[in-house]
Amino acid sequence: MQWIPEYKDDVPRVERFNFLSRFTHWGHTVTFLLCLFTGLALFLNNVDWLAAIFGGYHGAGLVHRIAAVIMTIVVVIFVIGNFKVLIAWIKDILRFGMNDIKFLLVFPLEFLGFKVKVPPQTKFNGGEKGNSIVTPTAVIFLILSGYIMWFPAIFPAGLVRLAYPIHDISMVLATMMVCMHGYLGSFHPGSGESFWGMWKGTVREDWAKHHHKTWYDETYGEQSKAE
Amino acid sequence: MANLTNLYDVSKCTACRGCMVACKDWNQLPAVIEPFKGNYDTHGGDTNGDTFTVVRFIEGEDPVDGVFWNFLKYQCMHCFYPACMKVCPQGAYSKTEWGATFHDPEKCIGCQYCTYACPFMIPKYRKREDKISKCTLCVDRVEEGLTPACARTCPTGALKFGDREELLAEAEERVKFLQANGFPRATIYGRVELGGLNKLYVLTDSPDKFGLPVDPKVPGQISFWQNWVQPYFGWLIPVALAGSAVSFVTTRILANKNGDHTEGGHE
Repeated sequence: MQWIPEYKDDVPRVERFNFLSRFTHWGHTVTFLLCLFTGLALFLNNVDWLAAIFGGYHGAGLVHRIAAVIMTIVVVIFVIGNFKVLIAWIKDILRFGMNDIKFLLVFPLEFLGFKVKVPPQTKFNGGEKGNSIVTPTAVIFLILSGYIMWFPAIFPAGLVRLAYPIHDISMVLATMMVCMHGYLGSFHPGSGESFWGMWKGTVREDWAKHHHKTWYDETYGEQSKAE
Repeated sequence: MANLTNLYDVSKCTACRGCMVACKDWNQLPAVIEPFKGNYDTHGGDTNGDTFTVVRFIEGEDPVDGVFWNFLKYQCMHCFYPACMKVCPQGAYSKTEWGATFHDPEKCIGCQYCTYACPFMIPKYRKREDKISKCTLCVDRVEEGLTPACARTCPTGALKFGDREELLAEAEERVKFLQANGFPRATIYGRVELGGLNKLYVLTDSPDKFGLPVDPKVPGQISFWQNWVQPYFGWLIPVALAGSAVSFVTTRILANKNGDHTEGGHE
């Protein structure tokens, strides 16, 4: 059984993510997962074994804070260092339209492995656009509410109390999206090639044409060459 | 077992602060010199990590009665249904069978959820230990048959310790007496507030004249968090994981049925 699609370097490939995008993506992945598992030690009940991995609850708290600070730095690096990419990303999300709605309607079938006809997608398909909205928004709320909970004395008490449910809700939404995103970006046979886009930076040209036709045509197709 | 509690009668309190000293003494809390704030109030009217109980000095002006100067011994109220106990992720809080809300510093990790869940914000963060501390109702004394340090030391009889029902009857008598003798708004505090407090007050005036919330409530954000978010919301994560697991299996089953589908795309 094949886990993820094989990386082929003997076929034409096109760039999907630049180095800084990939560096911050994986930096965020590592720090998010560290924060997640140390945080779950408190969110769930009776998981002393989970805290024990990090040296007990105080150790888990320390790892949680260190990972959170690094995560904040990673986010800042992405926003400042990759500002053009960020703007292009936001612009792409704002192109949400009919093709994205059609994508979302047929996606559950594709998710389960049925062959469906998908309308041409931009750089990020309808599902990825949703993930691009939910996860970063949740992470921003996680970061803000997290620092409020870390230093409650310098914030109004009402805001601290609000930070608790916000931190939990954002955590659950972000983790839910991360579960789906992690699966779709690797083990899902239809979209697994996108893993190489984030790992090596390039995807197979034919995959790009098939999965993100609009993006491919605009960036690498006849249209872009003519300009 | 019957609830054992303190009855504190403000009309008998001379604000000598003997209870504060006795509390520090028994609980081995360091005496910290507080800056002078221009009045008798030493701790800004609130407890802190090294001060489990304080005597408040409340100066105010009433449009009808003119100026007043109220004293109030203030500490953990040992609620029947403590919010601190509910939010604590470590189970550091427990209720003794006679009604004290006990905080176990061994289990505490210093997250301070309890501080913000408490309607009185009584649990206080002690930075040097990274832990919470608060009044224990002298659990260690009471379990040995003694009275709490504050009640034992009180020279005027303003603080009493004993069976809650008996003390309530005594408080009612006292309130009747006060109402008939110049304190028409005298009242009992702690009988019904938050479903009952294991600390009883006889007040000579309405609670707000003593800096106490008239109708204390667990903050709405905390109730929403504990009653809705914590128990139900997390299920979205296992649902997402289960969905991915189902897809992992079905995609591969369908791929075997329909021929090669595993090229990372649909050739």
